[in-house]
Parts: sequence; C-alpha cells; structure tokens
Amino acid sequence: MDQTTFGMIIAAFLTGLTTGGLSCLAVQGGLLAASLAQQIETDLVQAIPSTGKGKGRPNRSVQRAANKSALPIAAFLLAKLAAYTLLGALLGLVGSYLTLSPLSRAILMIAIGIFMAGNGLRMLNVHPVFRYFNFEPPRFITRYIRRTARSEGGRSLATPLFLGALTVLIPCGVTQAMMAAALGTGNPARGAALLFAFTLGTSPVFFLLAYLTTQLGARLERYFLRFVAVVVLVLGLISLDSGLNLAGAPFTITRLVQGILPSAAESTALNSSHPNSSSSSALQQGRLELAVQNNGYFPRTLRAPANQPLQLDLVTNNTRSCARDFVIPALDYYALLPLSGRTTVAIPPQAPGAVLRFTCSMGMYTGQIVFE
Amino acid sequence: MIKQTFKVPDMTCSNCAMVIESLEDELPGVKRIAASYHKGAVEIEYDERLLDESRIIEAIRQKGYTALKP
Repeated sequence: MDQTTFGMIIAAFLTGLTTGGLSCLAVQGGLLAASLAQQIETDLVQAIPSTGKGKGRPNRSVQRAANKSALPIAAFLLAKLAAYTLLGALLGLVGSYLTLSPLSRAILMIAIGIFMAGNGLRMLNVHPVFRYFNFEPPRFITRYIRRTARSEGGRSLATPLFLGALTVLIPCGVTQAMMAAALGTGNPARGAALLFAFTLGTSPVFFLLAYLTTQLGARLERYFLRFVAVVVLVLGLISLDSGLNLAGAPFTITRLVQGILPSAAESTALNSSHPNSSSSSALQQGRLELAVQNNGYFPRTLRAPANQPLQLDLVTNNTRSCARDFVIPALDYYALLPLSGRTTVAIPPQAPGAVLRFTCSMGMYTGQIVFE
Repeated sequence: MIKQTFKVPDMTCSNCAMVIESLEDELPGVKRIAASYHKGAVEIEYDERLLDESRIIEAIRQKGYTALKP
C-alpha cells in the first residue's frame, strides 16, 4: 500500500516535470503574466513617472524590473503549491464519498473548454462580452489584499500570492487528470501529497519560462499575453473536444480530423505496431486485442462481427500516459489499467453497423469498434 | 460628494481593476472607487472640494490606463 502511494507520488512529480509545466503555463500563464505585468508596470511607472504604460523604452530600469521578477514568480508558485496541496486534501476527502463518472467529467471538461476558449477570445479582445469569462474577485477580497499589501510597505507579494492561489480555479488538462487522481485516492493525506508532488514538478519549467519571458522586457509582455491567449483558446477547444469525446459524442474535432485522414493512422497501427493483433485471427476466438500505448490506442479502428459477444483485451506495456484510464462511454465502462498487463472487457452483442467508441478518461486518445 | 463614472477601455483583466481601485487609498478626496473590468468602467465617489475630474483622469493615467468621460 505504502509502496503504491509512493510510486504514485513519484509518477505525479514526473508528470508535472515533463508535461505539466508546459501545458499548465499555457493555461495559467495569463494569471502569472498579469501578476508580473503589474510588477513590471509598477517598476516602470516608478522609474519613468512621466510616461504611461508601455510607452517607456526598454532601458536599464526595465532590466532592473525584470531582475526583480524572480521574487513574484516564486511567490506565485509557492501560493500555487499551497493551494493545490489544500485542494488535493479536499479532493481526497470528497473522493472518499463519491467517484467522478466519465459523464460528469465530460461535462466538466466541456464547461472548462468553453471557459478557456472564452478567456482566449477575451485576451484577444475579440468582443467586450468575453470579459465576463474572466473571474472578477469580489471587492472585499481585492480591498483586503490591497490594504494588506499597503500595510506591508506598498509593493508586497500579495498579488502574485493571491493569483498563485487562484490557479486552482483554472487547472489545465494535465492538472485535471491529477485532480481526478487525487479524488480517486479517497484519502485527504494521499490526495494532498499527490497534488503537492505534481505542482512541485511543474514549478521548474513554469519558473524558467516565466522568468525568461520577463527578461525579454515589458514590451514583449503584450506579445506573450497574445501568445498565451491563442494557446488558451486552442487548449479550450481541445478540452471541449475531449469532453465531447468522453461523452461519446459522434461529432468531435478529433473524429473530423480522423475522417479527413482516415487510412494513415489506422493501417500503420495495424501492420507495423502490432503484427500479432491481426483482427481476423483474433476474431476466431471472439476476442480482439487493443494495444494501449503511451500515445494512444492501436489499432484505432477495430472490426468485430455483430450480434456476438466480444472479449476485448486491453494490453498495456509500461503505459504511463492517461491512455491507461480507459472509458467506453456507451457501456458506462471505466477502468484504470495496470502499468503492464492484460485486462479483458466483456462487450455484449451489438447490432450490425453499431459503432462503439472508446477513449481515455481525458478524451485525448480515442478509437472505435465497428460491428459488421 | 459627487458620484461619477468613467469609461476605462484599456483594462485587460480584473487585476487592472484592482490597480485602479488602489487610488482609493492614494488620492486624497476619494471616498470610494469601484472599477469593473467586466463593464470597462470605473465608478468613483469623491469630495468635489478636494478633487476634480481632470485630476482623477490624470491619476488613472499615472496608473497606466485611459479614463474617458461618458
């Protein structure tokens, strides 16, 4: 038990270190940038009181401002770490009472997708209506923060601290998976440890990228914001798409793309990646084999006879991605597959022409079984 | 006391609203400021004997934003 928990925590840390940092920076970068922008702006206004925002030429004062940015970034990340650890404990506690079903997760992801896409459009200044996608903290909170900041000598770290803590409200895709995992632990201490390890893992990349960005100067900050906006928009659409996949919706962006480029992914998957799992031989025993790999499911389209029960073997081989979180929405089937091993799913007879879609719990990797 | 609303179109997030609201503690004569990023507007309640419109606009400009009379 302890070893499993330890392994899970190490895995969470590594996930954060490798994928979390980049994808989370894209989602939460807006907050960080906002926090830093204010810092830089304050420095600029102080250094060049006669010129307004963005009018100052990058000079030594900008450089000085950039050098000071390490502290707010660190404050932001520390607050984030604390907030997520708390969230992990809370999720673990909630998880001991309920389990997040694929459908509720799908709805959550669609909602998050709309929220993110809306925020992307807001940051691109498409229309003032998108401003409502931005969370406006209640005035008593902002006033409290401001007064606290002032009492600490004007330029405190309250803003980045607060914004860092706020990142719990906009978790990125990978973070959501970790949050679901924390929920799945069903234990406050383990949930807290999991999200702590993951957030800690994301911090170095986050810190480095944010620091380098501020080093580029205040003027580039605007381009960074625009860049983040586009990334947030794209990620929002991905989340929306993933949510639709997870809900088993027949029309999603992923399927549209697969429809346009159908043959490449499927045939190569069948032939090169898994020569043993030729569907005709497997079918004779009423079994089909699906390789669950780090980069998805192979083959992506399986063919099976209609009106017959089917045994679907899910084969993992050192699979560490979310492909392990296997969902068949239509059957309400959900399983966390072992790192390596074989899990069999009994699929009831299906009508000819039926298509059974499967996906990972994040809706990132998808595939289907076509009954003929 | 006068209550007046200014349009501030160049706020980019709710953090900007917080920056403008900090004038509440900095500008003598201001009783209350409510800046809303959602509305792109700042509502300010002030003592007209201590403060006037042009000084408010200038103070907001110092914070890096443009205040426009409605």
